[in-house]
Amino acid sequence: MTYFISGGAKNGKSKLAQELAVALGGKRYYVATMISTGKEDDERIRRHIADREGLGFETVECFRNIMDCLGTADKDGVFLVDSVTALIQNSLFPMEKNYEMDLEAAHRCADALVSFAGIVQHGIFVSDYIYADAERYSESTEMYRKCLADIDRRLAQACDTVIEVSAGQAIIHKGELL
Amino acid sequence: MVLIIGGAYQGKLDYARAAFRLCDEDIFTCTGGEIDFSRRCIHRIEEFVFSCPDALGYFKAHREEWEDSILICRDIFCGVVPMGEENRAWRRDTGRLCQYLAGEAAQVSRIFCGLEQRSK
Repeated sequence: MTYFISGGAKNGKSKLAQELAVALGGKRYYVATMISTGKEDDERIRRHIADREGLGFETVECFRNIMDCLGTADKDGVFLVDSVTALIQNSLFPMEKNYEMDLEAAHRCADALVSFAGIVQHGIFVSDYIYADAERYSESTEMYRKCLADIDRRLAQACDTVIEVSAGQAIIHKGELL
Repeated sequence: MVLIIGGAYQGKLDYARAAFRLCDEDIFTCTGGEIDFSRRCIHRIEEFVFSCPDALGYFKAHREEWEDSILICRDIFCGVVPMGEENRAWRRDTGRLCQYLAGEAAQVSRIFCGLEQRSK
């Protein structure tokens, strides 16, 4: 089963994704995607690790090409990718290039995610819904939103189930919960 | 009339093209305060609202011209209240117009990540 989960911030997307991963059974991998940029990120990562404690996840760090996970992990396992947003951000604004926009890298990252969704037995992809406000953003922020939306739509098409999470509740747009 | 709403880049126009078999000539993309209602599909209504001092009045005055249209508007309603007065008015007027249009519509569809959710 493959799932695409999106919704607003702090609505319970990660929690639902973890519950689904546990329910699917078998070997579980948590694909950690966030590159820490300081104390605040370190604290967030620490909190996420504490949240997952006891759920039996093996953490695989992957910051760019999701296919790299398959070097060490078993493709028949359950992969929780949290989040698509961080992966695209890492590629589109690479830290080592002083965060200068790299559109081609973002496209490569998106292609890899779609391929990955087609290869693994079970995958859960968590993204962020950042598309419904009345703000006029800078060109680079608009490009970021567009790149993320493009991959969201491709993953929504590729995955068996598409869920929007709102206040902890699952709104199912496609497929079945389990 | 069919109203299609959804956040930025969610595939609203792609949905309309496929569901109603639209070609490029059928689509009017709003860039200012006037709309060509002779086209079947009016896209980016939020941009029309941005440029029109009385968007709701304009739509009411042209009621008969869009009765069978496909109207597409971006959801700009879920963020923090905008700091700028212009954007606050834009959000308010777009929201009021969408509520009116949704009331008049035979079908209201919300597009989420390319998928349609029918709310009316």
